[in-house]
Amino acid sequence: MLPSRHFQPPGGPPIELRRPPLAIVLVAVLVIALGETGGAAMSQLAPAVERYATARVDANAEAHGLLGSPEYDDEVRSRAVYSAEAGLSFFHTHAEGLGLILFFTSTLVASVVAGRRVRAALYALLTAGSLFPLGYLAYSVAVLELGRDSGIEAAERWVLIPLGSAAIVGLAGLAVCLTARVRAAARPSLP
Amino acid sequence: MTEAPAWRLPPVWVLLVAVLLIVCAEVGGASMVRFKIELTRWARGVMLAHPEIHGLVGVRDVDERILDEALVKFDAGLRLFHIHAEGMGLVIIATTTVAATLVRTPPARPVMITLLTVGGAGYPLGYLLWAALIPYFGMERGKAIAEWLFWIPFGGATIVALWWLAAVVTLRLVRR
Repeated sequence: MLPSRHFQPPGGPPIELRRPPLAIVLVAVLVIALGETGGAAMSQLAPAVERYATARVDANAEAHGLLGSPEYDDEVRSRAVYSAEAGLSFFHTHAEGLGLILFFTSTLVASVVAGRRVRAALYALLTAGSLFPLGYLAYSVAVLELGRDSGIEAAERWVLIPLGSAAIVGLAGLAVCLTARVRAAARPSLP
Repeated sequence: MTEAPAWRLPPVWVLLVAVLLIVCAEVGGASMVRFKIELTRWARGVMLAHPEIHGLVGVRDVDERILDEALVKFDAGLRLFHIHAEGMGLVIIATTTVAATLVRTPPARPVMITLLTVGGAGYPLGYLLWAALIPYFGMERGKAIAEWLFWIPFGGATIVALWWLAAVVTLRLVRR
């Protein structure tokens, strides 16, 4: 039901929630689908994942600093496998969250941001940011291939920080646009 | 501003299910904190009443370690219900909105919306069931029951519907 003519809600007139471009909707749905599927795969394939991770650590013995001493090597191996599994778990949880964040924030951009170029820039930043969870897949692979510390550093530097920064800048940009809209709505209109 | 097309609202029963799921998640999280001692005491009591299921041998040092491990999993089941129910409530709202707006063929739309809603709402309940079953059936048996009754059918429904939805959106993007 529409509000009566005399009722003006705070912050401006009511708006319709608009749909962002199809490509962005597709990315949001894909990220959520990947998150769900990743969670199910992690649960069903846990022993296979652990076997694969252990084999990759052994295949990259030099990168992991394995010395041939069973006690020490077991400790190094289990830490690396734990980190790789943690990366998969973070992928699952972050993909679910960031897919939703892209869906809701891009809907806000489509609905309240007036400038075409600003809208395009925010879409690009938010979409790049929604790919942040893929950084955790890279994290898992890098831990196994490059060694635990070097792998984590590489994934953070080349994937997680750039994509995470894109998400933060996009969200901050959207906050600025919303602030500008609230201020514009609060300004007294000319008779 | 160029007028972008508007989102369409999914059926109200879908929104009701999503909101109720989020409410259950919040109540579950609050109850976990408020009744932590009572819940732990109950689970421990049931486990002590079924010593053969948990492999309790009557030696305090051994039994306490087994009970602690089972109680950690019991707590994990409740926590996982809390976070999955919160997340899936939002996933239901987002994905059924996309389906209501972009899936045009009448038989496909209600089927997809039903799969997303029923799958999304049922899946987290598996964690609640798992937590409740641990004291009676042990961790592994409880997990197997929850898996076959909830996680595989409901989680499977959600995954199938999500990839179906992704395929529909891709087709619309390609055909434009």
